[in-house]
Amino acid sequence: MSAEHPAEPVERGPDAARPAEPVEQPTRPAEPVERPTARGPDAARPAVLGEPIRAESVTAGYGGDPVIRGISVRADRGQVVSIVGPNGSGKSTLLKSMVGVVRVSGGRVLLGDRAITNLAPEEVARAGVGYVPQVDDVFGPLTVRENLEMGGYLLARRDVAARVEHVFSVFPRLGTMARRPAGKLSGGERKMLAMGRVLMLEPAVFLLDEPTANLAPAIARSLLGEHVRRLAERGAAVLIVEQRAKAVLAISDRTYVLGGGELRMEGTPAELSGNPEFVDSFLGGGRDRALPSSET
Amino acid sequence: MTVFLASVGFGLITAAVLAVAAVGFTLQFAVTDVLNLAFAAVMTAGAFTAYWINQLGVSIWLALVVAMAACAVLSVVLNLVVYSPFQRRGSSPITIVIVSLGMALIIEFGIQAIVGGVNVSYAMSQGHTFHLGGLILTTVQLVIIAISVVVMAAAHIMLRYSKLGKAMRATAANRSLARNCGIRTDRVITATWALTGALCGLAGTVFAIDIGSFGPTSTDLFVVLILAAVFLGGPGHAYGAMLGALLIGVATEVSAAYIQPDYKYVIAFAALLAMLAVRPSGLFGARA
Amino acid sequence: MTYLITLLVYGAVDVIACLGLSQQFGVAGVTNFGFIIFQAAGAYVAAILALPSDAANGGFQHYIGGWNLPFPLPWIGAAVAGAVLALPFTFLVGRRLRGDFAAVGLLVTAVLLNLLVMNYVPLFNGDAGLAIVPAPLQSQVMTTTSTAYQWEFTAGVIILAGAVYWLVRRITESPYGRTLRAMRDNDKVADSLGKNLLSLRTGMLVLGGAIAGLSGGVLVSFISVWSPAAWTYAETIVLFAAVIIGGRGNHLGAVLGAIIVPVGFEESTRLITNANPSLPPNLLPSLQWVAIGLLIGLFLWLRPQGIVPERRRVIALPVGSGERGPVERPVAAGAPGNEIILAAADLSRDFGGVHAVSGVSLAVRRGTVTGLIGPNGAGKSTLLSLLAGTERASAGQVFYQGADVTGRPAFRRARLGLVRTFQLASEFRRLTVMENLLSAAPGNRGETLRGAFAGRRYWRDDEAAAVAKAAGILERFGLEELANSYAGDLSGGQRRLVEIMRALMTGPAMLLLDEPMAGVHPELARRIGNLLVELARDGMTVLMVEHELAIMDEFCDPVIVMAEGSVLAEGTMAQLRERSEVVEAYLVG
Repeated sequence: MSAEHPAEPVERGPDAARPAEPVEQPTRPAEPVERPTARGPDAARPAVLGEPIRAESVTAGYGGDPVIRGISVRADRGQVVSIVGPNGSGKSTLLKSMVGVVRVSGGRVLLGDRAITNLAPEEVARAGVGYVPQVDDVFGPLTVRENLEMGGYLLARRDVAARVEHVFSVFPRLGTMARRPAGKLSGGERKMLAMGRVLMLEPAVFLLDEPTANLAPAIARSLLGEHVRRLAERGAAVLIVEQRAKAVLAISDRTYVLGGGELRMEGTPAELSGNPEFVDSFLGGGRDRALPSSET
Repeated sequence: MTVFLASVGFGLITAAVLAVAAVGFTLQFAVTDVLNLAFAAVMTAGAFTAYWINQLGVSIWLALVVAMAACAVLSVVLNLVVYSPFQRRGSSPITIVIVSLGMALIIEFGIQAIVGGVNVSYAMSQGHTFHLGGLILTTVQLVIIAISVVVMAAAHIMLRYSKLGKAMRATAANRSLARNCGIRTDRVITATWALTGALCGLAGTVFAIDIGSFGPTSTDLFVVLILAAVFLGGPGHAYGAMLGALLIGVATEVSAAYIQPDYKYVIAFAALLAMLAVRPSGLFGARA
Repeated sequence: MTYLITLLVYGAVDVIACLGLSQQFGVAGVTNFGFIIFQAAGAYVAAILALPSDAANGGFQHYIGGWNLPFPLPWIGAAVAGAVLALPFTFLVGRRLRGDFAAVGLLVTAVLLNLLVMNYVPLFNGDAGLAIVPAPLQSQVMTTTSTAYQWEFTAGVIILAGAVYWLVRRITESPYGRTLRAMRDNDKVADSLGKNLLSLRTGMLVLGGAIAGLSGGVLVSFISVWSPAAWTYAETIVLFAAVIIGGRGNHLGAVLGAIIVPVGFEESTRLITNANPSLPPNLLPSLQWVAIGLLIGLFLWLRPQGIVPERRRVIALPVGSGERGPVERPVAAGAPGNEIILAAADLSRDFGGVHAVSGVSLAVRRGTVTGLIGPNGAGKSTLLSLLAGTERASAGQVFYQGADVTGRPAFRRARLGLVRTFQLASEFRRLTVMENLLSAAPGNRGETLRGAFAGRRYWRDDEAAAVAKAAGILERFGLEELANSYAGDLSGGQRRLVEIMRALMTGPAMLLLDEPMAGVHPELARRIGNLLVELARDGMTVLMVEHELAIMDEFCDPVIVMAEGSVLAEGTMAQLRERSEVVEAYLVG
């Protein structure tokens, strides 16, 4: 809760220790195969220390009626926390309100113990929050390498190249198309690039808005199981909005269910999976709940 | 043949001046989203700034640097005081174009109110005349071409390799994502106004050097060439603007040699309308 | 005295020109930075129609023709010239080109034509221009310099300005004018409602061109000279300044602007010059331009609506509207049954490598409320756009009522009764709710330029019928009290309703609704649902994208499930819920 984390450096490398509280992950593949190449200047930097990010009773919208009302969520370091819910339930708006894209009209957003409510998006990024939007997630005319360089805009010039190589080692496919304009990538490659872009800064907190939208199921699973999970293993706090509830539950430490702009349920994946209301919240069925004021 | 070569020579000089202006204009539009029709008026302000400095006995080449600085400042102020507030309010693109025309009037006729309606010239020497395989160019003209080549190369290097240049392209492509990367886009945009303003001042001064005698309204027609070059290459596309400037510059001067000189702008005009009709995104298509 | 006459005539000419520009820019949203060339062309044509052949006056000036035609033919010719000159530029104002790019094209055209004329002696006498243009009825009256003649001329011109005002008002206040304002507010939506943007904008360029030409003709016959130097593009900006300051979209504002800006500035300059003859000759005209630039900036910032803002058109609801059939029966060409009204065959759409919709085939039966569901990014909205014609398909075909409509643009499909709504707010902001509805009523005789000319008597029956129909729909939705509010002032939910009501106004055979209940109060959502079911019972067909599955449960049968750009399953919600691939699609994606 408080910000005074002991500076426990999380070892990086293939044999990195899993953080505490391991979670059941049926779909997770074997240990990731990434080889760290970033030594030299990169190795000298302190390892990632995820700070918890919290939204406290956040109410936000695009002017007019608020889209989300009084929502509180939190993600601690080393955790993947997912937000699921039907279309239009306010998941994306919640993330946008946390990174300064959508104006918060009530409540507050905290990074560690620092209030970042309604900071400009660039200042939120500078505070150490990496955000991947759902659409328009790459710079189309820029090459893959240039996209990554923009992701590493805040890095010292001498560190950028090493970091790019690191991202290429995480997503080897991107390395083979470094000079291609991002606008010419396939859906899956594009999403990898978007993820790679936020990896550049190795932020303490990742906010991912439906990173698997439009991806083939196999690619989606590998993105969630390998890459997203891995971010948390390295000590970052990951808050992820997902449409693929089942797949994201498998990698989550904790899950929030949104509906109609409000928080409907929360719990561990195990708790939620066993709850029939959870499936109902996606496929309707409970019409009285969806249209509350109509049947009396 | 000699007529042709001579006109190509003129064309190259026109293209050189035009390229500087067109690249400035198109970058301004790409990064800031302002179709700034006051660009030519700012060029005039640059040309006169250089003239006033030149009148103090300073070399025109030094005065040119002062003009660039002055136009950079003027452009930044225009954005901060006028365009940026309108954009923050969510004004439509057409409103901002109309506002920019208003700014053009203020600057252009503000200068006219100060200097009156007479034309002026810089105190400078044209240098030697060179015969280069049929092309006849003076030292000054060669210097203008050299400046333009250097500016194009510098623009290329900056956009491709410098941090600011890439941030400018990123801002042009997706401003909101650029901010999510931690880029302070307001500063990038201010820097863009300063840089393109400097290009504008440079273009204005070399334009004035090129035509010899100039007045407050001398750039009224040149703006047509700028727009033609920019739209030919695709609005917002720096390399497109370079190519467009070369095509328009040479085509207008060569056509001037064979039809009546006064109609040389018709080529630019036809090119612009054809592009708008057939391919509004220009030869290159996408932006930045 | 002569001075007063000059002032009045110049004022009237500026009023005429500003009315033309107000019609184009203020009402229809067509930004014509080349306006001045139409005025110049009219002036030139009036001159050459009135002048005798160039040999007759010693050949000291060159021009085309020299027909020596009697009044009022030169003025009529001026208007025709302005109108004809507009035709080559219509390609700039279609659907494809951004408004500001088109404006730049017209600006450059104005600059270039001016340059050409100044330099081409054989046709236009170069920059010397034309002189000794005969005044109207010169041969009939003994002298054109007499005070009586001058006053008669002035009165005539003022009457003419009044007539132009009457004309543009007649057009603006007609159903056609309403369509123009709708296009100005949101051209994409107007397109989807079946408005032909190209034809509307062409009409405005031609009409504005004719009015500009007429003003030029009047001016040239008053001052008897035609000088190309007087028609620079900057003059267009003066007229724009006048319309912006006076109030765009309000013709009275245009009149006021014409009096304040061009006339007022001329006047003040003259007064100051007379008072201080020692001033440098260029100073005041220069400062005048600076002031116009400042005024444009200040007004757009401080009072963008102008001194006399566009007024709100209040339309009274017909008394006892509730007794009329509230929603007209749609054009039901066949009984509800198994007939396929809309079908897609292997429909695909790519966006730069992303397959938003890939190989979708589906069939919608007449008289159903068919639901379209699927996770985010499944391609639902894109599919709807392909069916409506607002997006072009990369491959595949769309069949509507048995005909292949794949190649037809949205407005043509809308005219066939296939009407869509948008996910984002798409109301015409500066039209009232009632006007929003009326703008969608099909077949109003007043909705053509000719119908608008013909006047209220020609179209009032159609209009009354449309108002009654709109009143019925408003009552159905319980929004009568909002009928005369600006749509732009409504809440998000109310705007969605306006959109659905507007779509119903077209009497569609089939409605394509994109999340019609998003942001609508649940109670209202239920009412909309019931209404749609009722309409379907009468033979209308609905295909709607919706994320709230409870709504699908209650109102939609069948429901089509999309995932990753393809159709996954079809059936009732209850059936679909039993199917594992659907559950998977929702939970797994």
